[in-house]
Amino acid sequence: MADDGQPLELILARNLISTIAVPAVLVDADRRFVFFNDAAAGVIGAPFEEIGVLEPDEWNAKYGPLDPDGNPMPEEDLPLSIAVREARPAYGRFSVRAEHGVIEIEMGAVPLTGAEGYHGAILVFWPVPEAG
Amino acid sequence: MRVRFWGTRGSIPTPGPESTRYGGNTPCVQVTCADGTEVVLDAGSGIRTLGAALVGRRAPVHVLLTHLHLDHIQGLLFFAPFFETGAEVTVWGPPSRTHTLRARLARYLSNPLSPVEIRDLPARVRFEPVPAGPWRLGDCEVRAVLVAHRGPTLGYRITTADGSVCYLPDHEPGLGADLARAPAEWVSGLALARGCDALIHDGQYLDAEYADRVGWGHSGLTDALAFAERAEAGRTFLFHHDPGHDDEALAALEADARARWDGRGGELALAREGGELVLGSR
Repeated sequence: MADDGQPLELILARNLISTIAVPAVLVDADRRFVFFNDAAAGVIGAPFEEIGVLEPDEWNAKYGPLDPDGNPMPEEDLPLSIAVREARPAYGRFSVRAEHGVIEIEMGAVPLTGAEGYHGAILVFWPVPEAG
Repeated sequence: MRVRFWGTRGSIPTPGPESTRYGGNTPCVQVTCADGTEVVLDAGSGIRTLGAALVGRRAPVHVLLTHLHLDHIQGLLFFAPFFETGAEVTVWGPPSRTHTLRARLARYLSNPLSPVEIRDLPARVRFEPVPAGPWRLGDCEVRAVLVAHRGPTLGYRITTADGSVCYLPDHEPGLGADLARAPAEWVSGLALARGCDALIHDGQYLDAEYADRVGWGHSGLTDALAFAERAEAGRTFLFHHDPGHDDEALAALEADARARWDGRGGELALAREGGELVLGSR
């Protein structure tokens, strides 16, 4: 119903994550990375205004995700894929390229499904503390 | 296309001498398409007098509900066409994955809240969720989009060869958003409203009032003006007047709004019950 505007579910999600201090990324129904907040920018090293919207391939090439050996992870194992496929929140742990090198993160993916169907997902993540 | 305001008040009717200029009935706006199709935007208490004016006409009637808050449906059972044998009325509303529109409305239109049930209505009444894309009602094209309010709420745009009107009576696009800077596609309702000939938009609160009511689903004046400016409508009507604002208060609000609007382009006014607007020649 949104014509050339974004679905309300994504608009409200963007408004929400732009006001919270937990790193979060917004993905649309085509898996494009359409927004990330300042807390996420603090992890990956650049603000959204500089990076802009990224296609899935662009995001993966830039940030990962990577397995423990540094290899790209199969897409079907990612929280986003599980959340979309099974229409439920999903959780995962993997590595990404961040501002100061590869770091391990944990991520939760919440599908944004409205009355008209699936519109995208919120990905919330946090760096895994290094073992002391 | 002819547009007439039958109810401009928000939240609860405010009958009495203090509301004669801007009106005391809750939301109802009539849009008459060039082919005679009647489109009724919301079913607040204003729909009662509209219904009386429609008695005996045989044109199809479509009631487009933005949402199911009481002030937008409380007039339904006082809409005369429902009680005309042979009349055809279609009620459109927001979709739901769990309950039909009829079932959701029946919570209000049934015992113990109502003496008459939907099944008792003599007219042929259908209840339909709005479709995902544009659809036609007579020679009007209608689009519906979910917008920022409390609970599933639609905005509508009605377009004919004469022009277009966009109806966003309950709308808080500024919630968590910078309306002046946010990219257009990320502002609730903006893609629907942009470039319309007439924009009917929530303008319930003074800014000082809004500060204490953030998240209630309505706009303060600054946000209403910011949204209207980005919509670039030919004419903007602020709507859903707060029940606590009498005519004097609304006149002051309108004067303030016009002063702040000056130079932004297009006309701006507060919607008045009984007011009428004609787009094109019909």
